[in-house]
Amino acid sequence: MAKRMAVRNLRLCTKDCLCLYVCPTGATDTENSIIDTEKCLGCGVCADACPSGAISMVPLEYPPQQKKAEAVVARANVLARSKALQEQTARQLARQAREDGLYRLLTAVTKSVRLVNEDLLREAGYMLPQGAPAHALLQSLVEAPPAGFPVEAARELLARIPCNEPEGKEP
Amino acid sequence: MERWICGICGYVYDEGKEGTPFAALPDSWVCPLCSAPKSAFSPAGAPAQPDAPAAPAKPVEDLKELSAGELSVVCSNLARGCEKQYKDREAALFRELADFFAAGTAPVSDPDPEGLMDRIRRDLEEEYPALSGAAVAASDRGTQRICVWGEKVTRMLDSLLTRYRTEGEDFLQNTQVWVCTVCGFVYVGDAPPEICPVCKVPAWKFEKIEGRV
Repeated sequence: MAKRMAVRNLRLCTKDCLCLYVCPTGATDTENSIIDTEKCLGCGVCADACPSGAISMVPLEYPPQQKKAEAVVARANVLARSKALQEQTARQLARQAREDGLYRLLTAVTKSVRLVNEDLLREAGYMLPQGAPAHALLQSLVEAPPAGFPVEAARELLARIPCNEPEGKEP
Repeated sequence: MERWICGICGYVYDEGKEGTPFAALPDSWVCPLCSAPKSAFSPAGAPAQPDAPAAPAKPVEDLKELSAGELSVVCSNLARGCEKQYKDREAALFRELADFFAAGTAPVSDPDPEGLMDRIRRDLEEEYPALSGAAVAASDRGTQRICVWGEKVTRMLDSLLTRYRTEGEDFLQNTQVWVCTVCGFVYVGDAPPEICPVCKVPAWKFEKIEGRV
C-alpha cells in the first residue's frame, strides 16, 4: 500500500504541466486541479518534476509525537486555563460592545487568544490526531459522554484515525 | 548613540540615523513596522528578556480535568491538525466537537475589560516565565517556541487594549484590525504586514476582522 500521496498547492502552481506528462495514472489531470487520491500511487514523480515546488508528498502514516515532560504539561495546562477564560471574557465583551472599533478589537482578541491556546495545547500533547492523548480523550468522551455530546462523531473519529502509539499509561 | 530593537518584530531604531534619542520619543510612539508599543523595545546588546525565574513561587494546580473551554480548544486544534494532513472529513468532525464544547462553556460573570487586561498581564509576568523555565529545564524547544510566539502576541494584545483605553474609538476609526491565522498576532492598519512580525507567514495568512453586519 502507498505510504504517501501527492497534494498540489494551488497558490504555488504555475501551470507548467509537467505533472500531467509524468503521472502514470492520470491522477494529476482533474477538472478542479486537486490530485485524484483514488488514482494516486504515491510514486512521487510529479513532485520531482514540478518546477514550482507546488506538489508535496503527504505521508499517510506518522511517527509517534514527542513525549512531553510532566512539569511542562502541568504548567502549560495552567496557562491554557487562563487563556480559555480570556477567550470567553473577550467573546462576551465583544457581544456587549456598542462601538464598531471596540467590537472588532475584541473579536480579534477572541480569535487571537484561541490561536495561542491551540498552539499551547498542541505542544502539551495534542499535536497529532493519531496521538495517544487525543485517542484517550475521545475514548473517555465516548465512554462517559457529557449531556448532548455528539458521541457518533467521536466514534467515527476513533474509527477513521488509528492511534499510532501504545495507548494507556506509560510504563 | 544607541540602537533599540523591537521585541516583537526585530525592527531596529537607530538613534544615530533617526536623530531623536529613543527616550525622547512620546509614549504614544509605536514600532513603524509592527505597531508594537515603545515598551516592547530594548537597547541592542541587552538580553531580549530577563531570565526566567528558576523556580516558580506558585505551586502548580492539579488540572487533570479540562474545562469545556479548554476541550473546545483541544478539538479545534486537532481539526487544524487534520486539515494539514488533508483529512477533511475528520477535520469537520473535530470542529463539530469543538462547537459542542464552545456552546457549553460557562459564561464569565460580569466580564470587564480591566479584568481581561489583568489576566493578560499575569500571563506575561508569571505564567510565561514559569512555562518557559520548565521548558528550558526539560530541553523542550517546541514549548520554548510557543512561549516566544505566545508572549509576543500577548504583549501586543496588552498594548492594543491599553491604547484603546487611552484613545477610544479614534484609535480604530477608518482603519482595519487583522489577525494572523497562524500565530494570533493582531495588527491595526489599512493593510496587513507583508510578513507576520511574530511567525513570519505572508500577508495572505492574515484575516481582516469585519464589523457587525
